[in-house]
Amino acid sequence: MAVEAGTGRVAPAELRRSAVDHARARRASRRRNELLRHLALAVITFILVAPFYYVFLASLKNATEIFSYPPKLLPFPPFFGNYKKLLFDTGFLRWMFNTLFVAGSVTTLKIFLDSMAGYALAKIDMTGKKVVFLAMLILLMVPIGALVVPLWALMSSFGLIDTYAALILPPLANPLGAILMRQFILGLPKDLENAARLDGLSEFGIYWRIVLPLIKPGLVVLAVIIFTDQFMSFIWPLIATTSDELQVLTVGVAALRAHGGANYGLWSASAVMSLIPVGVFFFVLQRQFLARSLAGALKQ
Amino acid sequence: MTDAVMTEGGRNAAGRLRLSPAEHRRLARKARLRRELTGWMFLGPMFLCFVLFLVVPVCGTVWWSLRTGNIASGTSFVGLQNFYDLPGVVGAGSAIANTLIFAAISVPLILVGALGVALILAKIRHGGSIYRFLVYFPVLVPGVVAALIWLFLTNVDFGLFNNVMKAFGAYPVTWLGADSALGVLAVLDVWRNIGYWAMFFVAAIIGLPTELYQAAELDGASTWARFRYLTLPLLRRIIFFAVIVSTIWGLQVFDTALVLTNGGPGTATTTVIYRVWLYVFASNNKVGFASAISLVLILVILALTLVQMRLLRDRRGID
Repeated sequence: MAVEAGTGRVAPAELRRSAVDHARARRASRRRNELLRHLALAVITFILVAPFYYVFLASLKNATEIFSYPPKLLPFPPFFGNYKKLLFDTGFLRWMFNTLFVAGSVTTLKIFLDSMAGYALAKIDMTGKKVVFLAMLILLMVPIGALVVPLWALMSSFGLIDTYAALILPPLANPLGAILMRQFILGLPKDLENAARLDGLSEFGIYWRIVLPLIKPGLVVLAVIIFTDQFMSFIWPLIATTSDELQVLTVGVAALRAHGGANYGLWSASAVMSLIPVGVFFFVLQRQFLARSLAGALKQ
Repeated sequence: MTDAVMTEGGRNAAGRLRLSPAEHRRLARKARLRRELTGWMFLGPMFLCFVLFLVVPVCGTVWWSLRTGNIASGTSFVGLQNFYDLPGVVGAGSAIANTLIFAAISVPLILVGALGVALILAKIRHGGSIYRFLVYFPVLVPGVVAALIWLFLTNVDFGLFNNVMKAFGAYPVTWLGADSALGVLAVLDVWRNIGYWAMFFVAAIIGLPTELYQAAELDGASTWARFRYLTLPLLRRIIFFAVIVSTIWGLQVFDTALVLTNGGPGTATTTVIYRVWLYVFASNNKVGFASAISLVLILVILALTLVQMRLLRDRRGID
């Protein structure tokens, strides 16, 4: 470029020097840009994370400290009264158990239902398959919140309102898992499965011994999607249960807010404690959690 | 099956199997039946749940939207009356308006913010994983808990926002007042969802062909030009997908409105699903109106889904 831009002749040494300069300038600007990026991200993440720290601070303050200005920015000396009250005077541990139990059940059941349905949709030539798949795609986005009236009527006609079954059954209908599993299984090489079929393995044997092990990474992502969705679900558990013993975490925490006046200490402690399981899971399964965002892209 | 072929079929001179056409049809039908049965054994359990807890409730919503009365004690058929009355029913209009305004504020902010964060994150060379962890963390907060956290940000006396304003010498603001509550709710949604779409865009950006960018850089295209004429067009479909899906999610807002503002002040943050809940479960039994307004929401979501599917099919046509 230097040659073209100039008179047509450039001394080799000069050219070399300018190239070195150019490279150095580029490296410097690259380093500066990287630094700017870190700075921008630091500011953004600080803004996103600051609310957590503020609530964590509040949870370790007593009622008068919460209201004092300027606020203490370090939780010393810590006050554990809020946590003590949350754990011993409310049903928090029970709510937590219910959430983990319901979310665990839904996840386990759905892993099998969805992978089997995905296998049928991907590999078995059967009538009605296309119609079923299309119906699943069309109804994929219909939220449970818009269906609470008929769902309540259905569950109450089964006599299941205020049971674990009422919490576990309706979420099984979500077709996202079957659609994702179909996609995963379509991506598997045909040879393995054909070889197994020639060796006389039954269709279920192919699913169980060949397909399931191969799609294990997909199953983990699916499990993470289902579990977090269940962990966060609110409106259906709110409607499907009436007794205290069956409240899940989100419903119980909302009840803390709705009843018994303004108790900021208790609220902050419940917010912090609610986030512990998600935080732990996220830390362990970071990669799979981030793949949650890709599930949408995968559908394409 | 192989045995059947051996005995009933027989062989010709070339050693090939030969079946009479009737025999052939019978065997083919038998194999087909087996395949159908196996298929439905695999698909059946999931399909049953899908029909029972999704297809039937959607049809049930249509059915109940044509009736009036109490969900527990009985309803009677009123035809389309609920839909004629819906605009005049207490809270229905404001619920729809609030939901649309909420989506109109939160969706653009989420997507523009997420795209910005993703553009930076995709290029960072070291330490990206810690930023990803932190940016994504609010995504995993249940709406109820997020709303509790925001009570501590928006409180007039000791909230983080007002404490920061005080530190800069500004007057405290009533964040959850009638004019601003819906906006605060939308910003809460931005806080919760920006990480999700940021990760989505990061994956898309990393997948873009690098040669194009090298070529553009050699041609002296500025950073802005590269974004405007390369990244944006290449991501067009991804962005469109994000707009549709995040709009669908935005239309479902309920739990944050319930916990942060109780739908108030007045009806300032009462959304569609909030209204459904109020109609049926919290106050009087207006099961017909609840179903009618649910059906409106479902139809809007179905329309958006179909647009999305149409778009995907078009793309497959081009590929």
